[in-house]
Amino acid sequence: MNANRRKQINPVHLNSLCRWLLVAVLLGAGGLFFVYMKNQQFALAEEIRQVERKIAGVRAQNETLLARVTEFSSRRVLQQRIAEGFIAMKPIQDNVIARLTPPADASPDGLLRTALVERVRP
Amino acid sequence: MRWTARTRTGIACGFVALIFTIYSARLVELQVAKHGEYSRLAAEKHTMRQVIHARRGLIFDRNGELLASNLPVRTVVADGSHIKDPDAMARLAAPLLDMTEAEFLEKISSGRKYIVIRREFAEDKAVTLQNALQDANMRGLYFEKDAVRIYPNGQMLGHVLGFLDHEGSGVQGVELTMEKYLRGHDGYRFIERDRTGREIMLYRGQEEPAEHGLNVRLTIDMGLQSIVEEELDSAFNDLKPEMAVAILANPKTGEILAMANRPCFDPNHPGDAKPVQMKNRAVIDMVEPGSTFKIVVASAALNEGTVKESTPIFCENGSFSYGGKILRDHHGYGMMNVHDILVKSSNIGSAKMALMMGDAKFYEYVRRFGFGERTGIELPGEIPGIVHPPHRWDKLTITRMPMGQSVTATPIQITMGMSVIANGGSLMAPQIVRSIEDPDGRVVFDKPPKVVREVIPRKTARFVSHALAGVVGQGGTAQLARVAGFTVAGKTGTAQKASPTGGYAPGKYVVSFVGYLPEEDPQFVCLVMVDDAKISSGLNYGGLVAAPVFSRIGERVARHMDLVPALRAESVSPLALGNSAVEKDAIER
Repeated sequence: MNANRRKQINPVHLNSLCRWLLVAVLLGAGGLFFVYMKNQQFALAEEIRQVERKIAGVRAQNETLLARVTEFSSRRVLQQRIAEGFIAMKPIQDNVIARLTPPADASPDGLLRTALVERVRP
Repeated sequence: MRWTARTRTGIACGFVALIFTIYSARLVELQVAKHGEYSRLAAEKHTMRQVIHARRGLIFDRNGELLASNLPVRTVVADGSHIKDPDAMARLAAPLLDMTEAEFLEKISSGRKYIVIRREFAEDKAVTLQNALQDANMRGLYFEKDAVRIYPNGQMLGHVLGFLDHEGSGVQGVELTMEKYLRGHDGYRFIERDRTGREIMLYRGQEEPAEHGLNVRLTIDMGLQSIVEEELDSAFNDLKPEMAVAILANPKTGEILAMANRPCFDPNHPGDAKPVQMKNRAVIDMVEPGSTFKIVVASAALNEGTVKESTPIFCENGSFSYGGKILRDHHGYGMMNVHDILVKSSNIGSAKMALMMGDAKFYEYVRRFGFGERTGIELPGEIPGIVHPPHRWDKLTITRMPMGQSVTATPIQITMGMSVIANGGSLMAPQIVRSIEDPDGRVVFDKPPKVVREVIPRKTARFVSHALAGVVGQGGTAQLARVAGFTVAGKTGTAQKASPTGGYAPGKYVVSFVGYLPEEDPQFVCLVMVDDAKISSGLNYGGLVAAPVFSRIGERVARHMDLVPALRAESVSPLALGNSAVEKDAIER
């Protein structure tokens, strides 16, 4: 092989090639990783949004139910129910009332005469 | 010049350089010089300030019973530009929105970007509709969060609670006076939206959370309120007056335990009420108090030493000429002491005590009892009533004011005036708000009872109190106010109604009874006032109309408070009430 022909040979510089390939791979991987992370962020953000919506929904449902419970247990509705005979109220008799500080007896028979007792006692 | 290749190349390069320079300059202008302007425009396109609505505070009674709460609802809005198939949308949405397809199509026909389809749409129905739209892959209907105020007890306590306007601000009652605590502060967050209008969570910006409104706890006891409302309702239906008011208060603290007005309204539907139904007459209506005002002159005369407990005062046998006019009593009385003047409700005796005391002193006590000034209760529109100073009095005023004429007062002033006697001489500031609490129930602000001033010493108050017990006892004017088992003290009032054309309207009376029990240790003071009851004017007296209502309220309240009776129960005999045939007739009725 003469000198001119030898001159035309373009040797592959493996070291350099590997270096550039590595750089390209790293850049590519970095890009892909960035895209992956970005997607991940979007997916997580979307999940958070869904959870937030669910919480808001549950909270609203809770408040709706609370409002309903309040209405159904309101004095107005309960009195209406009593009037309809759906529920009934039974006066508490004095034998089931425990008094921490028994007040003075009001009459000779020693019975407490609150207005209620006056009414329900035979 | 020779167009050599070099020259041509130079010109071409220069031209290209110029183009690039122009573009570069434009780029610099866009990116640097006008950066702020364009980034703002871009942000306006995608970024928006989302309001985080604060929840309005709740209102409770003293025992924690919920009186006003919030119901979450949605406002359904449409973006006409997003609806691709209006017919399909109408078929899907109209039945769930409780409207016809034609109505729905008419609403969205304008194609505008913001069309309110329905307000106050129930939350559960909104969720159903939202899911249906998602399943059908349709867009164009959006759901905005909203809330409506609900008052579970309806009409009960409506005047005290008030209601809200369309913007959610208090219009009346505690809703108005406590607005700054109840309202809270809306928060905000900056968000970015994609082209479909959905939030891009990743770019959520600055955020300030909402400060929810504080809860208000009232001094009202709904158990007692219910009793008062029922009895007032019954009286209102029987007597058909123009109005009726009842107030129940704790005389020692000034706490209002119950307050009711008739006619009334339902704060859930304020639009259905007439203005006359919405007036809280307990604080915004003034009336001549009538004989209930005699406690002022009696207390003043005793305290000033003008009269002693046993000083005899000649009551002119029922007819007293003064200032060219004749002042009369219901019956002719001779010599009476202060006790008897109160028990028999003698106008002449009261007038004479005021005359003995003099204008200035009497006026001073009227003011000390709180008449002529606002009590400061946390309810809107309170008026001070009218008490003219002595230099504006005519010659008759000194004889008319002691019996509750030539002076006007609000029902709350009369109640607090009687509380002075009940609690031993202190004028308490009435209060309807007990405390302010945060959403977790921690007390932020507690309102303690406030003594406005010491009006009379305890001894004087006790003496007047004993006399007021006599008013309800044998021979008094208010025997129908008795409550079995308890000593009741109180005073009736029967005042002629002022005519809009001047003077008094014939045959029209504002009758009242204000009293308390047990007299020895008052637990509550109660006022019942009835304006122009539709009964014979011969029966239209405080002792016959208002006193029985007080008695019924008093009995049930004593039971509710579990007060222990100190007296043996005895029924009131009609014969014991006097000889008047009309009185007997009234009792039988």
